[in-house]
Amino acid sequence: MTELDTARPATGAGRTVTRAEVEEFLYHEAELLDTWRLDDWFALLAEGSTYEVPTNDWTGWSTLEGGFFKSDDYGLLKARVKRLKSRKAHAENPHSRTQRMVSNVRLGERAGDLLEIRANFIVHRFRDDTTQAYVGHYEYLLEVTDDGLLIRRRRAVLTNEAMAAGARLSFIL
Amino acid sequence: MTQTVAPHTPEVIGNDLVAEDWERLTFRVHRSAYRSEDVFRAERERIWMTSWLYLGHETEIPRPNDFKSRVVGGKPLIFVRDAQGQIRVWLNACPHRGTILCREPEGNNKHIQCFYHAWTFRTDGEIAAIPGEDAYDFSPGFRESVKLRAVPRVDTHEGFVFISFAPEGPSLLEHLGKAADIMTMATLQAPEGMTVLPGVQRYSVKGNWKLSVENAMDGYHFAPTHNTFVGYLRETGYAVTDDDQYAYDLGDGHGMLRLTGHGGRIGMIWEPRFGEAEKEHTEQVRAEMIARLGEERALQAADASRILYVFPNLMLFDLEALSIRQFEPVSAGVTDVRAWQYVPNGEPEETRQIRLRTMASFIGPGGLATPDDMEAYEAVQRGIEATKGDDRGFNDWSDMSRGMISEVRGEQGRSIDEGAMRSFWRAWSRAVGPVESDDRPGSTSTTGANR
Repeated sequence: MTELDTARPATGAGRTVTRAEVEEFLYHEAELLDTWRLDDWFALLAEGSTYEVPTNDWTGWSTLEGGFFKSDDYGLLKARVKRLKSRKAHAENPHSRTQRMVSNVRLGERAGDLLEIRANFIVHRFRDDTTQAYVGHYEYLLEVTDDGLLIRRRRAVLTNEAMAAGARLSFIL
Repeated sequence: MTQTVAPHTPEVIGNDLVAEDWERLTFRVHRSAYRSEDVFRAERERIWMTSWLYLGHETEIPRPNDFKSRVVGGKPLIFVRDAQGQIRVWLNACPHRGTILCREPEGNNKHIQCFYHAWTFRTDGEIAAIPGEDAYDFSPGFRESVKLRAVPRVDTHEGFVFISFAPEGPSLLEHLGKAADIMTMATLQAPEGMTVLPGVQRYSVKGNWKLSVENAMDGYHFAPTHNTFVGYLRETGYAVTDDDQYAYDLGDGHGMLRLTGHGGRIGMIWEPRFGEAEKEHTEQVRAEMIARLGEERALQAADASRILYVFPNLMLFDLEALSIRQFEPVSAGVTDVRAWQYVPNGEPEETRQIRLRTMASFIGPGGLATPDDMEAYEAVQRGIEATKGDDRGFNDWSDMSRGMISEVRGEQGRSIDEGAMRSFWRAWSRAVGPVESDDRPGSTSTTGANR
């Protein structure tokens, strides 16, 4: 805990958030995604939240300035979850088996009830007797509430130079 | 069960991997065409080393000395704008010993320098420096002989840069034929021109490149394969129908689906998914197009979506928004893909946001639709192993007969028929010609169909 954190109240939107709490939140999220509990995962998102996966050549452009693999607003995220729950989402029927490793969690800027987080990931995907590793980092904007944390923005930035043969982003990265 | 097929010899086109039978109205492709490395090598030699190939768009390298390194036809290339602003395409290999010159995927450099022995070139291909050049002085014409190696031919249509590894052959416009104007139509909404944005979707599919051509020219798959995407579109109030959608053979392997049953085209046909504010902008764009182009030409460009396939490696998706797709076969079973957002200059931010989000929601390995297409290519590539070497009847053939009867009747083929796939395969068969393949027992592919 930093000095700043200790000065915060124990409850309310301005309450203290520790790295342990954030890590717990991210591990919980990873488990929900790996076990395909998508409704529970969607409940971690604040209304109006966004989900982005930039292309591999991303240098920081906004969703107005360049192409992305995914640039979901809340409505599209909802549609994505609905689609993935359908047996007709052929790219994910059967579901990819995924195993996520989340590490190097860092707490960033805190502005009121909003907290920036950065963490590294490796997501191993197994399907059709092949495997790929998606390597990169997450950039989260979390909302601090009395009851816990909510996702306002979730950006998964790939370090891979390109998507490997057979790799796709049909699941939630 | 034993399958019996009455003796009958279908018409052979360029090779016996494509069998067209106008008596029985069947059209079949032998599955070794997707599986065989012999076929892949023949394609490399007879299509990729002879045809015009899409390399990239000139707006990807807007400033002098901007470059991209890119592999096309298996060859590493440097796509660069020289100091005078001219587009150049160099083989990405040092004339000295063959080292890759540009090891970065993109950048801006006045000079191209090989790290190995520090040979240095200008972006227009001329030698800038050879360290210790005095040691070569005794060799006449030496300096001239070690300039950057150019791709034999480079030409541009509407900013789309094509290359050919064949020093001679049809001009680019001759090659593009009827496809040229379809490309032009994709630019007509933009009085200030079009740009390719940064942010290229690079992905790779474990499927033969021709499966992606078939898929793009195949409206039949749309409803079942994209069931969940169609469901999403309907929820947003988007009208989707297969009625009044047609497939066009543009000659020489090029093809097009012209889609009027898909309502929304950003800036040109409003739909509820785009939001109320976009309504007025759409009216403005249409009015400007009509004033500039005349009503007939403006509405021809504005009122239909088009999926254009330019033989052999370019697709232009002119749908809700525009996407350029290039593919690069790596082997019989693997295809690398690049896809870019292609946008009108000077459009309002709100429109741009809707455009980019809408396209990403559909196109690419993270979209709500393309992953299901990738699943299809990969599932076919795995599935056709089942019939490999099976010479019973048509077990090892894929069927593309749908809608042949409308060709006989002289009707325009529907997008949900397989006519655009057939015209591709005919052109492919002629271009590739006979292939000796180890993937096909009892046939050398040179003797005509023998089944």
